[in-house]
Amino acid sequence: MATLLEIRNLKKYFQTPKGVLHAVDGISFSLEPGKTMGIVGESGCGKSTLGRTVIRLIDSSGGQIIFENKDVTFVRGRELKALRQKMQIIFQDPFASLNPRFTVERTIREALMLTKRYSRPEAMDETERLMELVGIDQRLRNSYPHELDGGRRQRVVIARALATGPRFVVGDEPVSALDVSIQAQIINLLQDLQEAMDLTYIFITHDLSAVKHISDVIGVMYLGQMVEICPSNEIFRSPLHPYTKALLSAIPSIDIHHQQESVILEGEIVSPINPKPGCRFSARCRYSQAKCGEPQSLEEIATDHFVFCSRAREIND
Amino acid sequence: MQNGETQRGELLRIRDLVVEYTSEGETIHAVNGVSLELKKGKTLGLLGETGAGKTTIAKSVMRILPETTSKINSGEIYLNGKDVLLLSEKKMRAIRGKSASMIFQDPMTALDPVRRVGEQIEEVIRLHNNTGKNEAQQWAMEMLETVGIKADRAREYPHQFSGGMKQRVVIAIALACKPELLLADEPTTALDVTIQAQILRMIEKLKKELDMSMLLITHDLGVVASQCDDVAVIYAGEILESGSREDIYDHPTHPYTRGLFDALPDINKEVRRLTPITGRMIDPTDLPKGCYFQPRCAYAKKSCRHERREMAEISPGHHCRCTHFA
Repeated sequence: MATLLEIRNLKKYFQTPKGVLHAVDGISFSLEPGKTMGIVGESGCGKSTLGRTVIRLIDSSGGQIIFENKDVTFVRGRELKALRQKMQIIFQDPFASLNPRFTVERTIREALMLTKRYSRPEAMDETERLMELVGIDQRLRNSYPHELDGGRRQRVVIARALATGPRFVVGDEPVSALDVSIQAQIINLLQDLQEAMDLTYIFITHDLSAVKHISDVIGVMYLGQMVEICPSNEIFRSPLHPYTKALLSAIPSIDIHHQQESVILEGEIVSPINPKPGCRFSARCRYSQAKCGEPQSLEEIATDHFVFCSRAREIND
Repeated sequence: MQNGETQRGELLRIRDLVVEYTSEGETIHAVNGVSLELKKGKTLGLLGETGAGKTTIAKSVMRILPETTSKINSGEIYLNGKDVLLLSEKKMRAIRGKSASMIFQDPMTALDPVRRVGEQIEEVIRLHNNTGKNEAQQWAMEMLETVGIKADRAREYPHQFSGGMKQRVVIAIALACKPELLLADEPTTALDVTIQAQILRMIEKLKKELDMSMLLITHDLGVVASQCDDVAVIYAGEILESGSREDIYDHPTHPYTRGLFDALPDINKEVRRLTPITGRMIDPTDLPKGCYFQPRCAYAKKSCRHERREMAEISPGHHCRCTHFA
């Protein structure tokens, strides 16, 4: 199948008083239309920066972003505006991403008017249609964000993101701020919309069970690098990178009769400022050896299963 | 049974607690007749979603509810047989941080940003013990080591620590005076899973060493499964189901408890669609007459709309407010 999005050796560095922070450091992957890629990792691993760089909210420091077979890494002006309509993002906190002085109706209508595809009356009709699509009652059209609960607010954010007719949507922890019972409602909604509108998603989260449910492919990030990419059902069945294994074992299981012993990682994430060459996880890795100090590469260990670890074959034998 | 007082082997007993807040002239019914028992040396998980009243219960035990906007309408809270709701503020101050401590979700707001972490631990030590400055300093450094932080970091400020390390400092303060009761309010919710695993294991170890009892407040079914002996499920300020961990996880009986389990994506199963609990939490300023969960319940009968249900014992020690699945 054709590729919708291809990321080649993408980098995003930030200058800090202490040195250069490698937030995203040489990430490559591609995504087919209608599919979902889940990106998991802990705070500070660069997953949000990756999402923002991919949709051109921030400029990259290196690498290429190919969208619909076109290099969009450096597009500007009118072209960038057109690109923004096709690439949208949903953030974690719906309250922070909605204008508190705009009603539901105005929030959605404003995004519609930006596309210049609708007359005013058409935009009114389209607003109504979008509200129905995401499951917001019409009687709430004149409500303000503070009058809505978290689940409804996130529905408004989703409706606004869809108003420009995107093909590709990044969800940056879109359900993390919601209660379990509401999370499931929003995840189902995102899946229904994907099917109905043939959307392609990048779903960024720290919640591994949610990401497995929604994704076709999962990428695990650690300190700016993608340490493992594989089909989503494989990640729980046969994780190959030592970090992925530790991450999975740390999730408290709800099965009280098979409480697995979690691999407790010593220490915390090291600083992404001026990182040394070699594996960035090696300081916390129980399989660490001298050769882990050399630069690693993403290797295909099994079909469609890529691992960024020079010892991956040995330790998984 | 002695009327209301703490039974043998029980550290904390809450009876019929009712707490309200007032906001803009409206009354918010946060806790609506909650009864709980925590046995000595055990961990009780208080499981519920946003707005269920979990934190209000813990703050009631510590008597740290906002004075002007909240009111404990009725109920008793026995800590070691004494009703803390009847104690003077002076007596209460001697309890906070000494026999009962509380840790909160966000470690940054729990620490004073302009004081060294060592001093913040010393403060609670000197408040409750007759120790000199040097002795308290030594004690504070030992506490840091206990929670896995090098003693020489006592001179650093909170912003120099990562989130997980800050939560360790908060735990060091909470446990410095070896409390009998730890109220842990979402202690790992703000942390990454690998750090959560470190902190939970540490709390478990210290709990054993200090022979402490814990009320663990969380919305995370996995955390409860790994930490708790007993579980109480709370919704709209009311306990809907309670029992041993096995009762709740092997035989979830209340439709809400079952709904929570069903709503979670199961990593071991391939399902296309999740099963959410439909609708949303009831308005706490306008409680319905009947069952509080009834508006969202797929099994609701006509009578559920009008009749209040009492807790019924469906098997020894396993109580539930709904008998549909009992």
